[in-house]
Amino acid sequence: MDCIITIEIGTSHVRAVAFKLNGQIIDSRKGTYPTFHPLPHYSEQDPEQVFVTFLNVVRGLISEKIRPQKYNISAIGFSAAMHSVLPVDEKGVPLTNVMIWSDNRAKKEAESLKSSPQGKSIYQATGTPIHPMSPLVKIAWIKNENPEVFNRTHKFISLKEYILFQLTGSYYIDYSLASATGLFNITELNWEEQSLAFAGINADKLSQPVPVLFSGLKIRKGFRGMFALSAATKIIIGASDGCLATFGAAGRGKGRATVTLDTTGAVRIIDKKQLHTEDRQFFNYLLFEGCFVSGGPTNNGGSVFEWFNRQFLRNTGFSDYDAAFSKMFSEAAQVPPGSAGLIFLPYLLGERAPLWNANARGSYFGININHKKKHFVRATVEGVIYELFSIGKLLQEHRPIKELYVNGYLATLPFLSQLIADVFNKPVHVNSSTDSSATGLFFLLATELGIFNSLEEASVADSSYRIFTPNTSDNVVYMRYYEVFERLSNKLTEEFELIAKLQQGV
Amino acid sequence: MHRFLFKQGECAQLQPFSHISEFGCKKIHNVQLHSLDVTSSDQLLIYFILEGKHEWLIGDQNYILYPGDLALILPGKLFGNPKGFLDLGAIMWLSLIPGRPCTHVAFDNWSSLHKPENRVIQNLLTVNAKPVINNFSLAGEIFHHMFTELTLAEIGYRSRVNQLIDELLISLARQISRQENKRRDFPQIFLKLEETLRQNLSHQWSVEEMAALVGLGTTSFTEKVKSFTGFSPLNYLINIRISESIKLLKRTEFSVTQIALETGFYSSQHFATTFKKITGYTPMHFKKNNT
Repeated sequence: MDCIITIEIGTSHVRAVAFKLNGQIIDSRKGTYPTFHPLPHYSEQDPEQVFVTFLNVVRGLISEKIRPQKYNISAIGFSAAMHSVLPVDEKGVPLTNVMIWSDNRAKKEAESLKSSPQGKSIYQATGTPIHPMSPLVKIAWIKNENPEVFNRTHKFISLKEYILFQLTGSYYIDYSLASATGLFNITELNWEEQSLAFAGINADKLSQPVPVLFSGLKIRKGFRGMFALSAATKIIIGASDGCLATFGAAGRGKGRATVTLDTTGAVRIIDKKQLHTEDRQFFNYLLFEGCFVSGGPTNNGGSVFEWFNRQFLRNTGFSDYDAAFSKMFSEAAQVPPGSAGLIFLPYLLGERAPLWNANARGSYFGININHKKKHFVRATVEGVIYELFSIGKLLQEHRPIKELYVNGYLATLPFLSQLIADVFNKPVHVNSSTDSSATGLFFLLATELGIFNSLEEASVADSSYRIFTPNTSDNVVYMRYYEVFERLSNKLTEEFELIAKLQQGV
Repeated sequence: MHRFLFKQGECAQLQPFSHISEFGCKKIHNVQLHSLDVTSSDQLLIYFILEGKHEWLIGDQNYILYPGDLALILPGKLFGNPKGFLDLGAIMWLSLIPGRPCTHVAFDNWSSLHKPENRVIQNLLTVNAKPVINNFSLAGEIFHHMFTELTLAEIGYRSRVNQLIDELLISLARQISRQENKRRDFPQIFLKLEETLRQNLSHQWSVEEMAALVGLGTTSFTEKVKSFTGFSPLNYLINIRISESIKLLKRTEFSVTQIALETGFYSSQHFATTFKKITGYTPMHFKKNNT
């Protein structure tokens, strides 16, 4: 029997999933590694630890689960988190720990580039918003703040490239991951000159970009044996986890968007064309050639609920947030839509899309003498969903959205799935597989093996198993309040700046 | 609950339920050798503890089960008491014959689970890393109802028994998915531990010492680390040791013996074998590949 193995190098873990060719999961294995914060704004991982974890997870799955059941591995592919940067010397030896996406040390570099005309044209060419997460500004930070490492660097690579280099001795990056570096021209599919100039490097300091179905990786003999790969096993480079998760959840169908809500949130769409607007920075990442994942991220998702629980609900009897959340949502459910006129702006952590304002701050508006605690609970939940809707609304000005697919732990909780349906006034689908980036990668690999005739055909294979239909009458209520929400968010720009300044002075 | 045993092919009660292989309740008053040897079966086994403390091996790990706990043993997994007998106490169990292929949990025609939901539940049960579910008294109630239904065989009992099994599977899947999302505070505690281990990597850490550092008993510590990291505490520690040794091999001219001691292996031999097992190469070969 044949199987396909997907390997995900995520923010906190490596996960390997073995699929039968019909998409059924045979088994999976996961191993985690930590993120270190040696200084404020720093988020680092140990590249060797990630590699060792990767080896253990993949070997464990194959030698303990796949070989004993006599499966033959038809294809292996890789998915990875975006935006990591690791400088290595000419032997491929890491010169520092790897900076991961959440590393914010390049704040200054990001701000100065963003306010320059060059910043705008780099964003247009590369599709990656100018933000400390972007490898482009991270490399600029190394140039400015750590010139010794910068001068010794042979290549600037990501975690995925590092693991592939360990396995093969060559440097390759797939177009999808490259499209999230801020250094890659997503139209011409090559390294962007303006970005290289800003980072102070030549293209030879970066890996060779290849299509996501590239299968020219030559794995060293020792690892081939360890993983029981036959000569016929296809090793496919794969794509980025964000793009694959969107593809895995919503496929390529027209008029579909994904809504993700976990600690943070995002709204994304897939289309043949990039999405450019004058002043709003949507990201445009490449899933594969001629196919883009565009959208906007919000900072204020589950972390807002955690804050509210900890400060006001005193749900301390619970050892875990899961139980606390479900209590919070059952309290919210007792109040009718609209929270009796109480509105919450959820900008506790500043905001990315759609305001792109690090100074934005939270606020409750419209409080009157009749509001009780439960109204605050519901308003808090509604505020977070309004914020997601504000991203979706902007996207919708450019792409029609007919239906939504939710992923992430919070968005797939029935109460929130229904609320999303009601606020967006669109049907919300919940997929039967919970790991949509593995599913997306499976679709990609299975199509390459000829199991599906096309990616369109593949992406309808995982049907949604539950659909939440919007309550139109509730939507009317939500939209009345949303209007006030939006007006407040835009009106308060000056006050956000004033209060942020005062807060920073304390 | 008094003891009973329904066995497929040996009693009339199970005749309409070809998917149930056994359903029973047992009180153990004295130890009988070979009453629970470690073996694997091609059935899905669900054990529920009524009384006593039971030390079982499931898959490749040992577990201690107390009253109210449930064990879920997938087809093909090793299961039994390493000592070979049932501990004193009382247990109930249900063994289901899975659909084809038998390496999978699959619920066939008898189940009225909505098809896509059936698949979600199957997936959850299959990939679940933790076969013991604590404080799951609902299972005892469901087993009790099943027994009553099978014994009284009143109108509609065939549907009712299958519904009860469905209910059990749904509750199990919910409980498992909740446990999956339960660990929001452990990562921070664990990160502190990891930093301590890295600072004293040459020390021969024992599981007891590590557990004590985070204020947990060894059993619950081992379980937590395993479910959070995917590795046992000692294997996780080996990951850190090997990661550090790779760095030293690549960046320094230290000898293999030096590196072994520096990273906490008790001999260069132990280091070399572990290193080869994990990376596929001997330390020297690895160094040659990378420098």
